[in-house]
Amino acid sequence: MTTVLENGATAADRTAPGTLTGAWRAFTLQLALYRHVWHGTVFTSVLLPVLYMVSIGIGVGAYIDPAAVGGLTYAEFIAPGLICSVAVMMLGNDMVFPVHGGYQDWGGHYLAQRATPLSPVDILNGHLAYATVFRPFTNCTIVAVVLAFFGVYTGSWRAAFAVVAAALVSASLAPWLHFWASSIKNDSNLNMIFRFAVMPISLFSGVFFPASDMPAFLQPLVWASPLWHGTELARAATAGTAPALPPYVHIAYLAALAVTGWFAARWRIQKRLNF
Amino acid sequence: MSYRASTLDGMPDDNEILVSAADLRKSYGDHEAVRGVDFEIRRGEAFGFLGANGAGKSTTMRMIGCVSQPTGGSLQVFGRDPHTQGAAIRARLGVVPQDNTLDGMLTVFENLVVYAGYFGIKKKAAREKAAELLEFVQLTPRAKDQVSDLSGGMQRRLAIARSLINDPELVILDEPTTGLDPQARHLVWERLFQLKHRGVSILLTTHYMDEAEQLCDRLVVMDEGRIIASGSPRELIDTHVTKEVVELRFGTAHTAELAALAHTLDGVGAQIEPLPDKILVYTDDADDTGAALEARDIRPSSVLARRATLEDVFLRLTGRALVEDEA
Repeated sequence: MTTVLENGATAADRTAPGTLTGAWRAFTLQLALYRHVWHGTVFTSVLLPVLYMVSIGIGVGAYIDPAAVGGLTYAEFIAPGLICSVAVMMLGNDMVFPVHGGYQDWGGHYLAQRATPLSPVDILNGHLAYATVFRPFTNCTIVAVVLAFFGVYTGSWRAAFAVVAAALVSASLAPWLHFWASSIKNDSNLNMIFRFAVMPISLFSGVFFPASDMPAFLQPLVWASPLWHGTELARAATAGTAPALPPYVHIAYLAALAVTGWFAARWRIQKRLNF
Repeated sequence: MSYRASTLDGMPDDNEILVSAADLRKSYGDHEAVRGVDFEIRRGEAFGFLGANGAGKSTTMRMIGCVSQPTGGSLQVFGRDPHTQGAAIRARLGVVPQDNTLDGMLTVFENLVVYAGYFGIKKKAAREKAAELLEFVQLTPRAKDQVSDLSGGMQRRLAIARSLINDPELVILDEPTTGLDPQARHLVWERLFQLKHRGVSILLTTHYMDEAEQLCDRLVVMDEGRIIASGSPRELIDTHVTKEVVELRFGTAHTAELAALAHTLDGVGAQIEPLPDKILVYTDDADDTGAALEARDIRPSSVLARRATLEDVFLRLTGRALVEDEA
């Protein structure tokens, strides 16, 4: 029986939304939540890079020989890695508790969305769009602008691509974090991700010193780290340095992680939301 | 204000079957949660699934809500197949889950508007509808408050308002008043009764007998994944139990002692049911039963005569009290 709605929706709305429409509808929840917490992100996006620049970039940098960091000032060397690191930090906020809570009675937003025309894949895509597109292109852009005041970009307008590199890092990690946070049973284990993933990734990614300075046995960790690939790309954009590998290799690695991660996350969320 | 979708000619078809299930089954590995159930739900009726925890009622509701695929039998909702047209079906359903699943960080009003967006309802229409629904559930003064600041009863009312945002043709409520204090329960019932009065079809699960009796036109009693009885509350009582029940207590006498005492009561009623703390005598006339007890010089410490309820139906059918099975 055809029905006429009285609330502005049309009959066409009573079908499954398309992939983009579904993701957008799920994304609006994250946007509404962001409106309540955006002021908290000022610390991550503005204050944190300023503190890093003043204390490490300029303070510690005074003791660093530019020859040790590829002929750049130390502030120039760490700036691109900072932009990408903020992206990783934001994922820690956006892709761990908010994902795990989506299935729980203390959160339940995924369960609520599931009762609507949205599919589990829409719900996944909406949350990923927030973490890998909206957040990097807003907050990492703010970081990049703040860092510009420190005169750390030797390249030209190409520096803007550092934000794209940060978004690529987000895209490579976010679905895997989603998969993990959807799989974990016990809330108390959620903090493990910071100890065993976020922390090592931040340490072994050539953000604060050239990764090539690390012992040979740790090099595989460097190569595996999405943050290292992103930092190499971002540094090429902001400082005009040659990345460790051809750019397409870095991009391909990050893209491969993103795609495989998305399939893993899709498999998991479908398991969790199809009862 | 109307919450009901109408047909193109403006007249709802009250005989239309919204949900039909035949030999519906759901298994999780070796565990068979729903073991072949048959039922039909018609437009405009309030239909209940009654049963203890683990009876299979929530699993059945999830299949109707198109978030769980049946593993056997057939199910149609609005004449469509949930397997292939789940999203289109869910677009016409309203769901009030047991845990509310409201967004605690958002305001009351935002919860409704964001949820409306999931259905593709435009912002302006969503805001108007949200204001209307807050009025309906008497939460307008709290519109700007965060959900986490609301009491349990208010959150449940908000969850009910949210379920109506898309003018659903069928509202599914899972244990709508579990965990609420008596006053909040009555307020929720009153709102649900209003909905029913406006012609919205309601499907609810409950293990509260008074809730089922007050709200449901028809219900099925589920136990261990099967439907063991169905009908209107009155039909179920008339079919399965006597008109009245006399509850007898004998001081501190407990299970075994009461079972022994029950043998001495043969003939004072249609059936004797010893429970751990009391004996139930099913009878069509409580006065006759009282007289029979006196004639046998049986003197309980307390006697309570009451009309039979659905609780008694469940007890008669399963041999267990619902309350004992609650988690």
